[in-house]
Amino acid sequence: MTRKMVLIDTSKCTGCKACSVACKEWNELPAEKTKLVTSYQTQKDFTTKTWTYMTFIEKYENQKMDFLMRKAQCFHCANPACMKACSSQAITKTVLGYVLIDHDKCIGCGYCVENCPFGVPKLDPIKKKSYKCTGCIDRVENDLKPACVHTCQPGALQFGERDVLLTQAKKRLAEVQKTHPKAQLYGEKEMGGTTFLYLLLDSPDVYGLPVNPTIPLSLTLWKDVIRPVGGLAVGGAAAAVVIGVFANLLKGNYHSNKEKVGNDPSSINKGGKD
Amino acid sequence: MSPSFGRGAMTNSWSDLQNAEVFLIAGSNCAENHPIAMRWINRAKEKGAKIIVVDPRFTRTASKADLFAQIRPGTDIAYLGAIINYIIENKLYDQNYVLNYTNALLKVSKDYKLEEGLFSGYDAKTRKYGVASWGYQLGPDNKPLKAENLDDQDSVFARLKTHYSRYTFETAEKITGIPAAKIKEIAETFSKGKPGTILYALGMTQHTTGVQGIRAYAVIQLLLGNIGKAGGGINALRGEPNVQGSTDMANLFNNLPGYLPHPISTDKSIRDYLVRNGSVQEKPLVALLKAWFGEHATKENDYEFGYLPKNNPSTNATMVKLFELMQKGQFKLLFNVGSNSLVSIPNRQLVRSALTKLDMLVVSDLYEIETAQFWREPGVKSSDIKTEVIMFPAAFVYEKDGTLTNSSRWIQWKDAALKPLGEAKPDLDLLDHLFKKIRALYSGSIEAKDAPILKARWDYGEVPSALKVLQELNGYDETTGKLTPTLADYLKAPVGAVSTGCWIYAGVTGNGNLAARRKNADTTGLGLYKDWSFAWPGNIRILYNRASCDEKGLPVDDKRKLIWWDSVSNAWTGNDGPDVVDKTKGPDTPEGKQSFRMNPEGVGRLFAANYMSGMPTTPPTDGLPVIGVRPAGLCVDGPLPEFYEPTESPTSNILHPKISVSPVALVLSSSPEIQKLGKPEEFPHVLTTYGVVEHFCAGGITRNIPWLNEIMPEPFAEFSKNLAKKIGVKEGDMVEVSSARGKITVRALVTDRLQTYKVNGKDTETIGMPWSWGFASLSPGPSTNELTIAALDPGAGTPEYKVCLVNIRRA
Repeated sequence: MTRKMVLIDTSKCTGCKACSVACKEWNELPAEKTKLVTSYQTQKDFTTKTWTYMTFIEKYENQKMDFLMRKAQCFHCANPACMKACSSQAITKTVLGYVLIDHDKCIGCGYCVENCPFGVPKLDPIKKKSYKCTGCIDRVENDLKPACVHTCQPGALQFGERDVLLTQAKKRLAEVQKTHPKAQLYGEKEMGGTTFLYLLLDSPDVYGLPVNPTIPLSLTLWKDVIRPVGGLAVGGAAAAVVIGVFANLLKGNYHSNKEKVGNDPSSINKGGKD
Repeated sequence: MSPSFGRGAMTNSWSDLQNAEVFLIAGSNCAENHPIAMRWINRAKEKGAKIIVVDPRFTRTASKADLFAQIRPGTDIAYLGAIINYIIENKLYDQNYVLNYTNALLKVSKDYKLEEGLFSGYDAKTRKYGVASWGYQLGPDNKPLKAENLDDQDSVFARLKTHYSRYTFETAEKITGIPAAKIKEIAETFSKGKPGTILYALGMTQHTTGVQGIRAYAVIQLLLGNIGKAGGGINALRGEPNVQGSTDMANLFNNLPGYLPHPISTDKSIRDYLVRNGSVQEKPLVALLKAWFGEHATKENDYEFGYLPKNNPSTNATMVKLFELMQKGQFKLLFNVGSNSLVSIPNRQLVRSALTKLDMLVVSDLYEIETAQFWREPGVKSSDIKTEVIMFPAAFVYEKDGTLTNSSRWIQWKDAALKPLGEAKPDLDLLDHLFKKIRALYSGSIEAKDAPILKARWDYGEVPSALKVLQELNGYDETTGKLTPTLADYLKAPVGAVSTGCWIYAGVTGNGNLAARRKNADTTGLGLYKDWSFAWPGNIRILYNRASCDEKGLPVDDKRKLIWWDSVSNAWTGNDGPDVVDKTKGPDTPEGKQSFRMNPEGVGRLFAANYMSGMPTTPPTDGLPVIGVRPAGLCVDGPLPEFYEPTESPTSNILHPKISVSPVALVLSSSPEIQKLGKPEEFPHVLTTYGVVEHFCAGGITRNIPWLNEIMPEPFAEFSKNLAKKIGVKEGDMVEVSSARGKITVRALVTDRLQTYKVNGKDTETIGMPWSWGFASLSPGPSTNELTIAALDPGAGTPEYKVCLVNIRRA
């Protein structure tokens, strides 16, 4: 078994949103109440019932319009922050390159939600479970393409072996760069290399994606430094304080109120996390 | 397209789009409305094809363009005229093609002229043209005189040149709002890339000058030699999966199946019909009568021609006209199938008022669409309405057997995937049930008017079979009762010996159900897929492909060989079915030279002349009117495309201010209280309406699917940031949009994809609004057709949904 890849070639995407409908259909996710957010975008962000959606960015400079569309979903990172943050070993990575949440083990601590640099997993506060794109692992393991790829008419989504598709993507990039000099691959190296990889027409920040996505420092400190050391060297009360501070950090209590999104289009999440 | 090439159909196919070097996508937002097109366009783009998009808005399709131009809605002919002018002035046309495959050299009648925006023959009283002067100069053999060269001042080419010399880039800029330099860039890019294809849809047809816009495309493509070739053509993207099929089956009021002209009230016999329509229509008309009346239709009784209903030629019974007549109380019953008229017809007041005048309304649909519950619309007093409404639950597309004919003219068979839900029935079952009941009610009647009902051939089985219907369209040898094997067998058979319900479908089931074929091998690499389903006529994939060869019958494009003359076997052969008169007539013969065999001249028509081929030179001895062979398709609004302003326009026509709008447009005028016209002083902005990818047409089905409502939950008005600033609105606010006919309130989408532009020197704004909503369904919303105008193209009867005048303010 080799690592798979989904190439999202935004130069071919027409923003038809069939991928998001196919996702809901296959995964039996209900529709949610929406309204126009900005441009033709109606889904603001991931939710426990929306695992993929289309973002629209209108960039008008020097009398030239760039109408950028991007399908947002879990990247399925090689170094997944969510997996590292998970307090109950519910998140695992498969040989195919898929990052999956085991809902039997998930206790709804929300650490994955807070630590994903792309803001992908979402917590159901009632079920106390975290949800995100599964990459259609149930289809892929039965020799089917993911639902979104299967439905894509303009051929913007492709599924295959990572090595093969990556070579193709690089070739395609050289072509696209002739008309879009800032075009780039996103996900080749990011987060150790992602399974869902983009050919973007512009720099990631234009799409609202982090230019250098990383595992949050707090998480690295906690998992790789404090926790292993903490239990050994530090006395009871002091350890409790340190652990308490980090637990709050992981839960995001020190974050600003960015989830409170109103009608102001400038405040919407364009698919990345800030 | 029919007046230009002889057939009113998309010339190439979806899968052929991959062969193009350059695209002009204008009047089509295919990324939204024909998503499948993008698969093939993207493939061409990967190979380096250039994409030009001209649209009133920067659309999802425009996001894939190399060159985009924002145009004022309804002004296409102005910039297309400038492109034609540029091609002629710079001699960018394909000389060989123009000389051999178009009517460029034929001499135009000396009486033909265009003055101050009026073609010769105009009658101001009837608002119609007499077409006598739009012909050729004829020789003693009644054939058109041919000029020696393109410089002959009487030639079609010279007339074309003079006509478009008025269309400079600068004039076009003033009219369209597209900068002159950009129009030039479009002209250069499109004429350089060969083959080049043009894609259009309702953005081009929904105007009072819709037909002429397509004619302008035809002129460009004939000049550049792009018709009949892989990767070329004019591709009319059909708006619904089976629109091609329904037009083949005569959903237009002036057709019979297979594009036979509909008989009119003065046609007392087949002979009268042929005098108007040419002897070429005799066989298909008789074959149709044989299909419909079987053994009852004999030579002696004129094949029961009298049974056919006749049109009143002065009525022009288009969809809008029907509602106009209904509003005047002319109908008791409306049977409304597959149409959400209350949402989709322009000027909804007309439909709303018309439906109340009926005794009974029958609606067959999947859901209780707006039309079916018009009496429940907010603001309507249901106690005042006496119309009885009956609803038939219809089966969905996947619940019934049958065919869909796509834009590529592929007749594609499908089996039902599941049984209809509940009491729902396929349309065929419903009609079969109705007809059998009606026939039983008339049983025993000896009244002449009831004879067609009693004598109709109706043999689709106890439980009606869609395959039997398709076989009827294919046709039978009426002596043996066997299916006609191929189109060639139908063409060889004597008049009256074969039947066919739609002659262009001949061969579809003659050797098994070819519509059900699903072999997708692409042996040629050209995307012809000739073993996938069956394309009419005779499985030809690219129409007029004779024009892809030179005079010797050899392909001009080595990379894209469609057909050729094989001098060894003495026959036309190739990768595609040859679109020739006779496969055994070589390129030296008169038949073998014909590139556009459905036109009476045998060539493509730059100038849509009034002409009937085969007119006898001596009058017949019996004193009866003469019958020619094949008449040309005519445009009722002129032989050459001329620019006219839309019915409601923010400016006046700078080419001829006195005749600013089309002098022959059909504008609803019989009910002034319903149709008021707006002035730019009161309604300064241009509204254009369209569909979005998330919803289908009037939304009858899609607005009842929660997943689709989630991705497009509400109608909106999109407009420029300048206009937003002017009216004090930001994105997400509610705005009221009003026209002289109504007003609605929707959410504002403020965008850079629409920019303020200059028209005749004045700043102008376009407002865009999707039209797919209505008051019912899971996603109710105001209908944009509350605002639109019932003004129609005089030839096609298509309403001008794409342009009217509006005002906008913060709600």
